Amino acid sequence: MGFLSASSTFTRYRLIEEVPDSLWPQIPDRLKRNAFQDIDDTADERSFGWVSFENMLDNEWLTAPPDKGQYLAFALRLDTRRVSAAVVKKHVQIAQDIELERVREQGKKFVSRERRNEIKEQVMLRLRARTLPVPAYFDVVWNIRDNVIYLASSQSKLRSLFEDLFTLSFDLHLEPLTPYYKAVELLGEERAAALDDIEGERFV
Amino acid sequence: MEDAYLGQAKDIILGQDFLTWLWYKSEAKAGLFTMPDGEAFSLFMEQRISVQGGEGDSKETTSVSGLMSELREAKLGLAMGKKVTKGQIRIEVDSDAWQMSLRAEDFSFNGFKTPKVDTKRDEGDDPDAIFLEKMYLIERGLSFIDHLFFEFLKLRLSEGWAEECENVRVWLSK
Repeated sequence: MGFLSASSTFTRYRLIEEVPDSLWPQIPDRLKRNAFQDIDDTADERSFGWVSFENMLDNEWLTAPPDKGQYLAFALRLDTRRVSAAVVKKHVQIAQDIELERVREQGKKFVSRERRNEIKEQVMLRLRARTLPVPAYFDVVWNIRDNVIYLASSQSKLRSLFEDLFTLSFDLHLEPLTPYYKAVELLGEERAAALDDIEGERFV
Repeated sequence: MEDAYLGQAKDIILGQDFLTWLWYKSEAKAGLFTMPDGEAFSLFMEQRISVQGGEGDSKETTSVSGLMSELREAKLGLAMGKKVTKGQIRIEVDSDAWQMSLRAEDFSFNGFKTPKVDTKRDEGDDPDAIFLEKMYLIERGLSFIDHLFFEFLKLRLSEGWAEECENVRVWLSK
């Protein structure tokens, strides 16, 4: 659920390093360079990249630019093809039976392990090409005044995908504002040193 | 399986101690808090709380929910040494209300609700007006939590913490 929804789920980050002034004008280009590429007509398992905040189909920011007041807003789109394990099992069995029939006609008794793996790969590819990728997108809001970044997700896998793509796109590193890092930010590095010795309190 | 990262153990300690303290504090102060600029707000932990105790295989979690309940079972868990791992928080300022569920281990927010934003737009309005208002409200809601986390940290690292722990003990034994 994105930030404009009645109810949203999100995590916060801050930037470890200062943003060089030269970066800001490059943001639209950098977003486009790492934009989402459609895989509807391929057999790729997944694809991810940036899209416009307003429209998940817009990877060229034709709908609206990412800058809005003191924020930059865009979204991370992730399309994934998932073929059900039962479907894979069935079609692998069909293909292997056909292959077994074929080698028997040649007088052989079994299909080699290598060939069986090859068949499985081919079946996977064929099934993936017939399966539509499932799209998902997660809002990203970057408060450029406070250098805080909000990602509309709390899933750990999606978060690490986002962190990597963010660094790849902007050459900037993110620090998740978990309790420890948030504490360091609030207290300042010097006072935060005391946190390293902290142990859980026993209230009872 | 999530990857371990620097500070993860401290995240759990700080997050759980904070939420546990926040529950105590909100009851002790009848929900009344003040921002550094003097603005008054009320904060309650309500409806849904999860507490956890033990380690590794002997970990035990209790989740309690109830619309108007006092979440006694969860408090009983605290009295047995458990800590709050997730809590639903409600903040009110005048007629504005925020509601969210905060997870102790990573401070992720779930079901974050802000006061309602008027989505009606007139011609000539800034097309980003709704977005900007919504972000303003989200960040305003977060500022209350951040302020209380800062208050908690200052107390946690001060000599006054031992006395506060005693207060928590008295609260739990009631």
